[in-house]
Amino acid sequence: MLSIERLAFCYPRGKKKQTDSMLFDLQAKPGEVLSLIGPSGSGKSTLLGLIAGFHQPTSGIIQVAGREIQSLEPAERPVTIVFQEHNLFPHLDVFTNVALGVNPSLKLDAQQHAGINQTLDDLGLGDFGKSMPAELSGGQRQRVAIARALIRKHQILLLDEPFAALGPALRQEMIELLKAIVIEQQMIALLVSHQPSDALLASENTAFISKGRVISLLPTEQLLTESPLAEVNDYLGKS
Amino acid sequence: MPGFRSAYPVLAVLALLVLAPMAGLLGVSGLATTDSGLGSLWQSQYIRRVLFFSVWQASLSTLLSIGFALLVARAFARRGDFPLRGLLLRLFGLPLVVPAVVVVMGVVSVYGSNGWIPLGRALYGLNGILIAHVFFNLPLAVRLLLPVWQSIPDHHWQLGDQLGMGQWQQWKYLEWPALRESLPGVGLLVFMLCLTSFAVVLTLGGGPRSTTLEVAIYQSLRFDFNPSQAVVLALLQLTLCVLVAWISSRFHRLPNVEITVSTLPVRKRSSNLFINTGIIMLAALFVGMPLLAMLVDALNGPLRQVLSSIELWHSAGFSLMVGLSAASLSIVAGWALLHTSTDLATSSQNKRAGLIELAGSIVYVVPPLVIGTGLFVLIAPWLNVFDWALPIVILVNAMMGLPFVIRTLGPAMRQSKMRYNHLCDSLALSGWNRFKFVDWPILRKPLGLSAALVAALAMGDLGVIALFGTPDTTTLPLLLYQQLSAYRIPQAAVTAAFLLLSCLLVFWMLETGIGGKSRVKH
Repeated sequence: MLSIERLAFCYPRGKKKQTDSMLFDLQAKPGEVLSLIGPSGSGKSTLLGLIAGFHQPTSGIIQVAGREIQSLEPAERPVTIVFQEHNLFPHLDVFTNVALGVNPSLKLDAQQHAGINQTLDDLGLGDFGKSMPAELSGGQRQRVAIARALIRKHQILLLDEPFAALGPALRQEMIELLKAIVIEQQMIALLVSHQPSDALLASENTAFISKGRVISLLPTEQLLTESPLAEVNDYLGKS
Repeated sequence: MPGFRSAYPVLAVLALLVLAPMAGLLGVSGLATTDSGLGSLWQSQYIRRVLFFSVWQASLSTLLSIGFALLVARAFARRGDFPLRGLLLRLFGLPLVVPAVVVVMGVVSVYGSNGWIPLGRALYGLNGILIAHVFFNLPLAVRLLLPVWQSIPDHHWQLGDQLGMGQWQQWKYLEWPALRESLPGVGLLVFMLCLTSFAVVLTLGGGPRSTTLEVAIYQSLRFDFNPSQAVVLALLQLTLCVLVAWISSRFHRLPNVEITVSTLPVRKRSSNLFINTGIIMLAALFVGMPLLAMLVDALNGPLRQVLSSIELWHSAGFSLMVGLSAASLSIVAGWALLHTSTDLATSSQNKRAGLIELAGSIVYVVPPLVIGTGLFVLIAPWLNVFDWALPIVILVNAMMGLPFVIRTLGPAMRQSKMRYNHLCDSLALSGWNRFKFVDWPILRKPLGLSAALVAALAMGDLGVIALFGTPDTTTLPLLLYQQLSAYRIPQAAVTAAFLLLSCLLVFWMLETGIGGKSRVKH
């Protein structure tokens, strides 16, 4: 279970953001892909950054399976993140990019080697271990990032608009893949997206974030079609 | 964050290296006011003449360089399909690493009494200075201005064609509006380079009628033994440089030197094709001829005699030591400054980050010779300045290289941090592992280029070494200058070729040795 309670954050002076002061409350359960939607600058990526440990909250609690993690270093948290771009180091091949997720010194035993190859196979990347990122398509690159996220075997998977640069067919394929993995490994995934259609496809429940707060957490279809909130309807272009 | 601290020692050393000589200059000027009539020096006819000539030659050099560069860059832009375009543009990058005193030798080989286009005595003085300055700055200005043409959208050219615009209208409505923004910045950069040019004026000018402030400072210290006069000249030079830097800061940034091989969608007419090809060929001849003539002279010169002389190898050893030490110091200092500035930039403290990088480029405002003069007058009463020649030459050359390190390494370092900091944090990649797997592969190429540039520039510098050099601490440029001054032209040609090849060899070895083969593809 992921539980976020009264998690407060404020950007330092000089860093101009649309929303300066933020306060989040949120819960998600294992096997769930929870989508986060909302206008630009509302705090979606900041929330992921707080969970990953890139930003320090001013107060509040982040619990994963009952353990508080908000004071841990990023690498100590049971969290892995996939960004929209720059997930892979361009000078390292696919295998090495994934292997860094297993051991940052790249000292791997035979079992770890086999595990990486197996994961690449599972994601349809078995033939690309020696390929450089520049030789892959956008979808393949994101698969490599997801492979690394999976092999780290962390409970929380954060996805910051990872499919934004992909075409509709590939997006759908990647979302289906994500859902299957999350259910199979009983992970908790938070998916930030600008596309309501992604949320509809990926998530049973979706949180709407506005001005640094989760103002609505509803079944996705209900949120997108029946929400009485003006902010949601403005965002969806219904007003 | 540890990065916040790494810049402090470097900033302290920079401050000491700039402020201490300034204090020395001002101290001497204060003493001189009461003792030897510094006030009268300000009124001196000689100093006025030197000041006028400094500004006059820099203005003429700038006008000629920019004027010709506009023609050449326009021809290059319109002849994207020119067969040797890439090679010629690479040739135009060469003056950046060719030592000034080697260029002087090349100019003498082409335009000297026995040259291919003999100008006789007319070469020495303003004419020679202008030729050498245009040699250096025409290619630089072309490389800075060419991207401006390439920034004009294709649709504008197509629109111009559709509206039936002729050459003049294209220039007026399409090209000039784009150039107008960059021209003052490029012009002021060239003016500053010509104003602070030392080796060219020392060797091709230098007489009473064609002396600039920098050369006059050197002559005051080394020949007239008149520190008071040197101080007045140094303060004048400093004032001029600060003024030019201040004016430059009011204008837009310089365009990025990023040359592609794309061609402009300008309809080709046979007359224009002929003219543009002619302009490119003339420019290539102008830039290529001095180097070629110098190499030919060297091959016909006393090769065995010069190459077997101890003084050549002795000087080569010193040059190598100066080049490599200055490059190492510059890289360490640049890395420390950039580590802090990128940390500040990633935490959105852009102003402070910019100030730290600006401090590293202080030599743009305070010329190395002024720093050298300050150090000279500061330590002369206490120590034998010539015993300290090498450390001072290395230190000042490292300072001169710092802006190149910041400009070359800075963007790569910032990009690496911005892109991969969070990813590295989340993968627990830190310390040695991060350096080995992330930073080194990404940064080794700009690092190699920075080291190569600084080493080549320091090896070819004839500024500070001329002030502090002795027969025991002679570098190759100083040896070459001594041979030129003694009219040992055949020997000088061999030494010049040796210096040029040494600089290019060190440049190549450092660039490929440190930079390696890039595996980064985006």
